[in-house]
Amino acid sequence: MAEVRAGPAPYIYVCTRMRVRKSKLLPKEEYLRMLNMSLPEITRSIEELEYKREIDELSASFHGIDLLEIALSWNLAKEYQAIIAITPGTLKAFTQAYLRRWDIQNILTILRGKRQGLKIGKIKEVLIPAGELDRVFLDRLLIEDSPDRIVEALKGKNLYPVVAKEFPLAVQSNSLSHMENELYKDFYRNLINDANVMKGGDLFLKYISLDIDITNIRNLFRLRVDTVQEDAREMMIPGGTFSVEELHRLNGITDQNEFIDALMEKVRVKTLLAVLDKLRGEKPIREIEIDLIKVQIEQMEKMAKLNPFSIHPILVYLEKKKYEVFNLRAIARGKESKLSTDRIKGYLVM
Amino acid sequence: MALRDVKPTRSELIGLKRRIALSERGYKILKMKRDGLILEFFKVLADAKDSRGELLQKYQRAVESMALANTVEGAIGVKSAAFSVKEVPQITLTSKNIMGVVVPKIESSKVRKSLVDRGYGILGTTSIIDETATSFEELVEAIIESAEIETTMKRLLSEIESTKRRVNALEFKVIPELSEARDFIKMRLDEMEREELFRLKKIKARMKA
Repeated sequence: MAEVRAGPAPYIYVCTRMRVRKSKLLPKEEYLRMLNMSLPEITRSIEELEYKREIDELSASFHGIDLLEIALSWNLAKEYQAIIAITPGTLKAFTQAYLRRWDIQNILTILRGKRQGLKIGKIKEVLIPAGELDRVFLDRLLIEDSPDRIVEALKGKNLYPVVAKEFPLAVQSNSLSHMENELYKDFYRNLINDANVMKGGDLFLKYISLDIDITNIRNLFRLRVDTVQEDAREMMIPGGTFSVEELHRLNGITDQNEFIDALMEKVRVKTLLAVLDKLRGEKPIREIEIDLIKVQIEQMEKMAKLNPFSIHPILVYLEKKKYEVFNLRAIARGKESKLSTDRIKGYLVM
Repeated sequence: MALRDVKPTRSELIGLKRRIALSERGYKILKMKRDGLILEFFKVLADAKDSRGELLQKYQRAVESMALANTVEGAIGVKSAAFSVKEVPQITLTSKNIMGVVVPKIESSKVRKSLVDRGYGILGTTSIIDETATSFEELVEAIIESAEIETTMKRLLSEIESTKRRVNALEFKVIPELSEARDFIKMRLDEMEREELFRLKKIKARMKA
């Protein structure tokens, strides 16, 4: 196949490929059909989709629902790596930067697992190499003797400065939560920096801002459920519509209506405003999260339509693919746990 | 106590009378203790029923939360978050006394944790992990509470059983046997007295003749 190398053609090509791939994702009706199936039927249906290769590959090591879940995760990781491989120029850089959040998850899982003294196999099962750090590198980290050596082995990687600074403190406090928060903050900080310096970064910046806003709003709702009053500044990501101080102030508002009014004052996204308005009554936090995710995807779709040959169609596909995997896993796990169809349906992002 | 082993002497009779008085006093006290323990047991039983119900409810909630967490986050997400738990709850075991029965008093700390203290970051997880963690923390608290109440109940029950056995032994074995021995000694002493009197009369009659 001839490769297109010059001009805007590679961008048009990859964005079109993303749209095609997106159109192949499972529609809502398919999830609804699966919800009425038994677990073996769901497994067979998933096998008939594009996940067959991973299921066959892993069937020697895993079985049952674990096989299904790990195969779905592997497929997601492979798909993301394939997308990085076909994206050109700055789009590649943006996609790689966006997928680094998986590196954070993997590194944290390895460090936690090692600190707990878990076997390598147990930790390996939980890794999803969908980011910059591939399976070979993660395997190398896994065979290191101690968490300190793992930190050293990260030298030269994006995560190293924060991990090297925060890990000794985490060991001292016996908790990696602060380090985890710092890694995610640093991840967003780097995304913003990349978007500011690279060509076409303004569109990427719009997505980052939306992602930060949704994450901060979601976490504000989460903190409201927690009985202990926390300092919200530690858990909020700078760089969105709200400053960290504003978010801290918002966290201090006890009255739900007052809190939502204060949020709505600064939010400009219409769909988000509509969802926030509906949250005035009592609503479980998980439903709020699902609503916010739906708003985020809807907004991203709008952005992708407005900018059809930008980073947006790629990001929309990456997110939608992620939620396809999450939905399939939720249906299978929900059925295995004998949850009612309505209950499972409530947790799907469709 | 076999009657053939009983020495029909006055000092033995005095000793037996003392033992009977002591046994009867002990019997009354033990009976009162048994009744008291039964009252305490019923009080604890009511608490135990409540705590068992609560425990069952919290267990079901925790299992359901785990099922939901597996559904939403997948086993991978749940395991990854679970790896972050490093600190285990602290349990302090002291004892208290209920009518002579030593029962445990369990105090726990670091069971309930705030979002920050749980070990995972808020930015990389979702609320379902919080809900699951909370429901399992509540379950651990309920288990600790239930352990205290149910151990108390078991100790009281075993003490009631042993007290009941002692009361029954005193009522149906020790006191009747002692009473029988006392009666036997009394009868033998009376008989010996009569024999002595008769012998004296006989001697007196022979001396007169």
